[in-house]
Amino acid sequence: MTAVAPVFQNPYRLAFAEFAANRRELAAVARLRREAFARFETLGWPTRQQEAWRFTDLSALQALTLQGPTDAPVEAGALPTLETPAHRLVFVNGRFAPGLSRLREMPERVLIASLGQTLLTQSRRVELYLDQLPGLAQHPFVALNTAFWEDGAFIHLPRGIAVETPIHVVCHATGGDSAVHPRLLLVLEDGARATVVVEYRGQGRYLNAPVAELALGAGATLRYHQIQEEAPRAFHLGGIRVRQGRDSQAQLHLLSAGGQLARTDLEALLDGEGASCTLNGLTLARDSQVGDYHVRIEHAQPRGTSQQWFRSVLDDKARSVFDGMIHVRPHAQKTDARQTSRNLLLSRQALANSNPRLEILADDVKCGHGSSTGFLDPDAEFYLRSRGIGAAQARAMLVHAFANDSLNQIRLTPLRERLARLLATRLALDITEGE
Amino acid sequence: MLEIRNLHVTVEDREILKGIDLTIRPGEVHAIMGPNGSGKSTLANVIAGREGYTVTQGEIRFDGKNLLELEPDVRACEGLFLAFQYPVEIPGVANLYFLKAAVNAVRKYRGEPPVDAMDFWDLVHERMELVKMDESMLKRSVNEGFSGGEKKRNEVFQMAVLQPRFAVLDETDSGLDIDALKVVADGVNALRSPERGFLVITHYQRLLDYIVPDHVHVLVNGRIARSGGKDLALELEEQGYALYNEEPGRARRAAV
Ligand SMILES: Nc1ncnc2c1ncn2[C@@H]1O[C@H](COP(=O)(O)OP(=O)(O)O)[C@@H](O)[C@H]1O
Ligand SMILES: [Mg+2]
Repeated sequence: MTAVAPVFQNPYRLAFAEFAANRRELAAVARLRREAFARFETLGWPTRQQEAWRFTDLSALQALTLQGPTDAPVEAGALPTLETPAHRLVFVNGRFAPGLSRLREMPERVLIASLGQTLLTQSRRVELYLDQLPGLAQHPFVALNTAFWEDGAFIHLPRGIAVETPIHVVCHATGGDSAVHPRLLLVLEDGARATVVVEYRGQGRYLNAPVAELALGAGATLRYHQIQEEAPRAFHLGGIRVRQGRDSQAQLHLLSAGGQLARTDLEALLDGEGASCTLNGLTLARDSQVGDYHVRIEHAQPRGTSQQWFRSVLDDKARSVFDGMIHVRPHAQKTDARQTSRNLLLSRQALANSNPRLEILADDVKCGHGSSTGFLDPDAEFYLRSRGIGAAQARAMLVHAFANDSLNQIRLTPLRERLARLLATRLALDITEGE
Repeated sequence: MLEIRNLHVTVEDREILKGIDLTIRPGEVHAIMGPNGSGKSTLANVIAGREGYTVTQGEIRFDGKNLLELEPDVRACEGLFLAFQYPVEIPGVANLYFLKAAVNAVRKYRGEPPVDAMDFWDLVHERMELVKMDESMLKRSVNEGFSGGEKKRNEVFQMAVLQPRFAVLDETDSGLDIDALKVVADGVNALRSPERGFLVITHYQRLLDYIVPDHVHVLVNGRIARSGGKDLALELEEQGYALYNEEPGRARRAAV
């Protein structure tokens, strides 16, 4: 037998060639894909020698032979609802599922739609906003998403418009070692206001590599919730880019509960005076799950405020990583930037890596960071038990109290209540009588 | 109901209690007085089942059961209560939720269904009035940001709601003004009954003006140096603990 020449040493190259050949779309978008793929090839698969990937072990993912996404039926009943009227966009394996989606009446000129469909009907609008935000340029999976995305949500609110009804985006994957790349594009023009809930979930084993781009004009307000409940064997490698104009307010609640390895890289550029960005992250991990956040807040203009609260609850051999950078540019005077990471270890084998970093190039700023990692307070546990509460329940109550601080910041009541139930289920705790 | 026999306890290899004998019958109130560091809290904690204490000799029986074999929550379910000298702050756990969890844990242990919501509310309100506690404290996290007096009041409130058969109060009077002290005493006196026993640990005689004990014991350096009736407390108030101490210099400081 003659040796088979490895024509496509990189299996992605073959996949991309095939993918690109079958698409009929705007030349500008096709070019974006090609450039992104070239970037991915240049960056290569991350290794642990790279500082940004030092704590993220991708070997289990790398060992898989990933497939392109397929169409698969999903029962409506298997998908979460917000238990309140919502605009609902469902994507299965990164593809729009109109039958499972439901859009309600919305103000004129508001766009809440499938990104793929919008690319067909209003391609210029997509071209104008797609992949336009800075940040995460060195992130290979963001490049992969830009090359391979098929669909996702496009939310565009014109100036001064508030959409009070929450926008619920559900991305479900059906496994089979597929790689899915949902894309979310959100544009809030000056003074616009929206509440968005994005859920990532699925079954079986797969890679979900989503990218969300959140652009806020001056005075815009965004409440964004990312609920990551991927299947236990899934991989999640996501990117979020945020750009904020003057006096805009972004509140991002990030829950990470699923997947064997889940990492989100987030980069926010506070690009207008007085912009404010709050990140509220909660990771619940057990078995050998890894929950990983890499955050960079870029203060580019004066009087910006940013707050990061990241918490993790780690059981068994679970691990959390928090790498948070606050970067204050010379011009960004009167910046107020805070960052805390708190980790609760429920087992001796659990491990939390916290790496808070500050780079402050302006002189008149308030910046602070703190990080703590510890076990449950034995005095508190004894106090509860001394009143008759059993050991398991006492521990669950204390964990709940720790995590609930994070959930309590969520203003969207039905979602908060659902997440509180999720937390209680994970802790085998009956909280219904407590409120 | 509570029998302590020849109890020796060490903490980190140091003997703190050096042979305590104490019998408390139903309906009785016993007071333990003694200088700082004499081992009063150690005794209270060992009764409640706190970790970190090693019983090297002796036993504690509660209604005939070997108390030292029971987990702390089982002791509580059996009807034991400790009012902590230093109540613990538990951020994020609301006082009311905590109390209800405790009441239901005890009920479950006894094979009873969870408490009816209305009955619980009525009980809580009645007991709150007894200890003159503000309703807002129910919603607050357990002891979080409470003043010293509020914490002690909360201990008595919990006791009044849980209605234990035997309660140990560890310096519940310390740091309280006279009004708060009376509230604590009212809480205890309201629960006094022929079936209940109390062990009241105090540093000062004045609490015993309001909770009149049947017996007073003086604990010095890990031993009961003397036992007597309620008049013993008055005597101690005048003379201090110096008479009982093997290390007079230390006792003099402690009695100041
Ligand atoms: N958990 C502990 N760790 C170390 N030493 C302790 C501990 N508890 C008590 N002790 C020591 O035991 C002695 C008695 O303390 P304690 O029982 O608190 O006395 P009291 O309540 O009478 O003031 C003291 O010398 C104290 O330092
Ligand atoms: Mg003490």
